[in-house]
Amino acid sequence: MGRQINVALIGNPNTGKTSVFNALTGLKQKVSNYPGTTVDKKEGVCKLPRGLKAHIIDLPGTYSLNASSLDENVVVELLLNKTDKNYPDVAVIITDVENLKRNLLLFTQIKDLRIPTVLVINMADRMKHRGISLNIPLLEKKLHTKIALISTRQKTGIDELKDIIYNYKEVPTEPCLDTSRIDPDYFDSLRQAFPNQDLYKLWLVISQDANFGKMSRKTLEIEKFKTKSISELKRLQQKETIKRYQFINSVLKVGQTVDTSKATGLRARLDRILTHKVWGYVIFFVILLTIFQAIYDWATIPMDFIDGAFASLSHWLKEVLPSGAATNLLAEGIVPGLGGILIFIPQIAFLFLFISVLEESGYMSRVVFLMDRVMRRFGLSGKSVVPLISGTACAIPAVMATRNIENWKERLITILVVPFTTCSARLPVYLIIIALVIPEGRFIGLSYQALSLMLLYLIGFGSAIVSAYILDKLLKIQRKSYFVIEMPNYKVPLLRNVAITVVEKTKAFVYGAGKIILAISVILFVLASTGIGRQFNEAEYLVRMEVAGENLSEEEIETRIASHKLEHSLIGVAGKAIEPVIQPLGYDWKIGIAIICSFAAREVFVGTLATIYSVGQDDEATIKNRMKKEINPVSGVPLFNFASGISLLLFYAFAMQCMSTLAIVKRETNSWLWPMVQLVFMTALAYVVALIVYQFLK
Amino acid sequence: MFNEIVQASLVIIAMLIAALFLIRKYVLLPKSKKASKDCGHDDCGC
Repeated sequence: MGRQINVALIGNPNTGKTSVFNALTGLKQKVSNYPGTTVDKKEGVCKLPRGLKAHIIDLPGTYSLNASSLDENVVVELLLNKTDKNYPDVAVIITDVENLKRNLLLFTQIKDLRIPTVLVINMADRMKHRGISLNIPLLEKKLHTKIALISTRQKTGIDELKDIIYNYKEVPTEPCLDTSRIDPDYFDSLRQAFPNQDLYKLWLVISQDANFGKMSRKTLEIEKFKTKSISELKRLQQKETIKRYQFINSVLKVGQTVDTSKATGLRARLDRILTHKVWGYVIFFVILLTIFQAIYDWATIPMDFIDGAFASLSHWLKEVLPSGAATNLLAEGIVPGLGGILIFIPQIAFLFLFISVLEESGYMSRVVFLMDRVMRRFGLSGKSVVPLISGTACAIPAVMATRNIENWKERLITILVVPFTTCSARLPVYLIIIALVIPEGRFIGLSYQALSLMLLYLIGFGSAIVSAYILDKLLKIQRKSYFVIEMPNYKVPLLRNVAITVVEKTKAFVYGAGKIILAISVILFVLASTGIGRQFNEAEYLVRMEVAGENLSEEEIETRIASHKLEHSLIGVAGKAIEPVIQPLGYDWKIGIAIICSFAAREVFVGTLATIYSVGQDDEATIKNRMKKEINPVSGVPLFNFASGISLLLFYAFAMQCMSTLAIVKRETNSWLWPMVQLVFMTALAYVVALIVYQFLK
Repeated sequence: MFNEIVQASLVIIAMLIAALFLIRKYVLLPKSKKASKDCGHDDCGC
């Protein structure tokens, strides 16, 4: 009987592992169930020189040894158990030449188990298309391994791989990473507690404990060792991953060259156009214009329907319910407040539809790459683009997305400037004010309103990068970082994924904002319906006395009475108190109240105004029409005119009106200093810009 | 009279619930709650 060695084929999913298995075994594999799991492993035999046979075991695909699913755990269990009859004499790691960086994470982990590890770089036939060239001898030296560059599609490199497997004893077992560098103190104590055990194996067992409960503890008898909490272990796992990617980046920087100008194929041609230093930006600009135009053109009909439906609902409730405070609260407070925000569902859904299509198609990654060039000039890296783009949905996940920026200075700057990007909460404010103050005409087929909205998005993005530039100059922290992004293939967006994104994001907007607006509407209504003193309690008598000489209809008198009561209600008194501060910006006390309420969340602004303008009103007018009819008591002109509207739009473009974002910034920076800097700077900037603009335009 | 009392009571209850909700969201919870990674699921805070 000839000698036989165990060869484990391991790799990320979709790296062509099974093709390599078939090429080695000549399709003689058998399929058997792995004990205790539903995952299949394939086994086969490969004949090597001098009668040596390789028992090839094709293991389930896994991204790393930090297994999070049971099928991934199959690989970890085999590699940690030397007594397993399938324990490999040599591990063959299959990678895809187009995704080498990501695939090498698993390679470095297995290499550190000190098993002879061979690196197979598959799909070599794609190198020319992608403009990739590899320095194999240098990569072998840096990674302490033997490399087989193969193409299962063109059947090249398989014999070389068999030679390497045959000579597996010559493959170095030197690790890639000094495990103790992850946390020197912790690993020192681990080494002292278990002097005869391999440090990385111990670490893997402990970290698997964190992932899967008590698995494998007995194997290495470490129950006596006082291990860290699960959250601390997870943090160390993240640290390990970062250290590994730092190592991989340094290796690929010298061993791999990607020259897109030499790339061929449809994807490469598209990439060359979409990431072109001139055309790339032009195309992105045209796409943005199309999106904003479509948002306006397509959403008008459903928006008008929702607006009208809520106005009718208010009117109907007043007619069918017994009159009284609770009915008024419902018809004049809650329904208009909610209607004020639900009206924006169509536009928000369309915006997320477009963003989702761009993400799904693979275009968004090209935008990130494109923006990296701009970002670097302003003290940010390409990694900051992801939070800035995700900030268009909500600043909170965007601030949290900065966690993948290793450099503290870049991370801090990104956190501080992210709230400038136009989040979905600003959208209702922009949409209602634009509809009131920007004319409906068109310029070369593009509506002024769509152009205004796009301009506001650009102002948000522009202020973020200008602020980043200033902060980069002000903050004296050393920095040096690299940005590597994996470009996904272009694909037709999956309808299901797009639909899920649109539904989830719209639902989040409605539920998130809806609950706050509902609560604030109730409070505002009560404050607007309650008052102290003669002016409120005897409002009807006082107004009728005042208008006795005027020839007014009963309806006009009723409106005057409602207005007088509101002005002397609790909210009116509070609003009047702050009016001197906001009057220079062109706002009245009602807008002042809405601004104060929207410190909780920006979208509350519209709901607040909708509630305030509905108190005491019996007509069936929509929110937009009520806002249109408002007259500035000081100047006598419509309250929402061009000057005050632009001033209000710019105030919201710059102001830090989100308490939740401040709380997250505090948590991420571990200090109240930075959220306070953000709050004071952004509010002051918003006030000054709004003041200048109003005084200039009025 | 009965209608007025019921309606006033409903308004007071709604007012208390609303106030408690806002206090819980903006005063009590930010100290203890960890925000979700994902906006829209659980309470991301926005």
